[in-house]
Amino acid sequence: MSVVVEVLQELWSMFVGDRRLTLLLLALVALVATVARMLTARPEVLGGALILGAMAVLADSVAHAARRASR
Amino acid sequence: MIAWATAAPAVTAAFAASTVEVVEAFTIVLAVATLRGWRPALTGAFAALGALALIVLALGPLLELVPLQALAMTIGVLLLLFGLGWLRKAVLRAAGLMALHDEEAIFEKEKQRIGAETTSVRSADWLVGIAAFKAVLLEGLEVVFIVLAVGAGRGLLWPAALGALAAFAAVMGVGLVIHRPLARVPENTLKFGVGVMLSSFGVFWTGEGLGVAWPGGDLALLGLAIVFLVFALALVRLTRPRLATAPP
Repeated sequence: MSVVVEVLQELWSMFVGDRRLTLLLLALVALVATVARMLTARPEVLGGALILGAMAVLADSVAHAARRASR
Repeated sequence: MIAWATAAPAVTAAFAASTVEVVEAFTIVLAVATLRGWRPALTGAFAALGALALIVLALGPLLELVPLQALAMTIGVLLLLFGLGWLRKAVLRAAGLMALHDEEAIFEKEKQRIGAETTSVRSADWLVGIAAFKAVLLEGLEVVFIVLAVGAGRGLLWPAALGALAAFAAVMGVGLVIHRPLARVPENTLKFGVGVMLSSFGVFWTGEGLGVAWPGGDLALLGLAIVFLVFALALVRLTRPRLATAPP
């Protein structure tokens, strides 16, 4: 039984290791998908938004961890 | 026939990620094997490998049935979550804000933990087998995900699986010869590289799922990887704590 629990915990931590990063990233993808559907934006604009958004999410998560480490 | 330019990113990502995970699993298997011998440790390890193989054999063909756009979107988002998570940790470790993975320390800790739990010969062998099983299964889950994620949808499951198997053979070969934890493997450098590659795959696949036609097709992965690498290195520089210098 404990093996199953540990497997589920491992799967959870694989994708939700940092809750803030996960939520921001899902929000980013939802936003880009909405823009893609509603505004029929040009594909290269969507690609650029994804790259910049992912980098912004990473920067936010690293900065947040750095601030917590320096306290 | 699969073009090398198409398969190379998947094979490289699977090989590098698997190296990191197999090193971690090997440390625990070695720790428990030094306590009770190789037989129960390897029994547990091979049972876990069998379970992982079953997962790949079950999920691989199922994924091929999912419509490509839905598959790209789902795998892309999961890869982004997983890849950015690895890259975040690698950046924090490279900046000195998070402790590096210490295989020697994990080896000693695992030996002490299992040593304290063993009470009789019979239960000791059982505990060793379970510990090895769990270590290989849990570390292997990440390998399975990476192989499926970078291989599915492009017909690259076998090349990606071969990359993972090559890493397994290399780490086990070296580990069994030197018979010590592989503490000198540059784990954070590998994690940094894998984080960059998986994040690039994640953006690429998510974009494809949303209908983005990447310029240059698969070659856009290389451009994405360069962008993520440069950005992550810049983050390391920016977040590295400044050393306090005494005034002259």
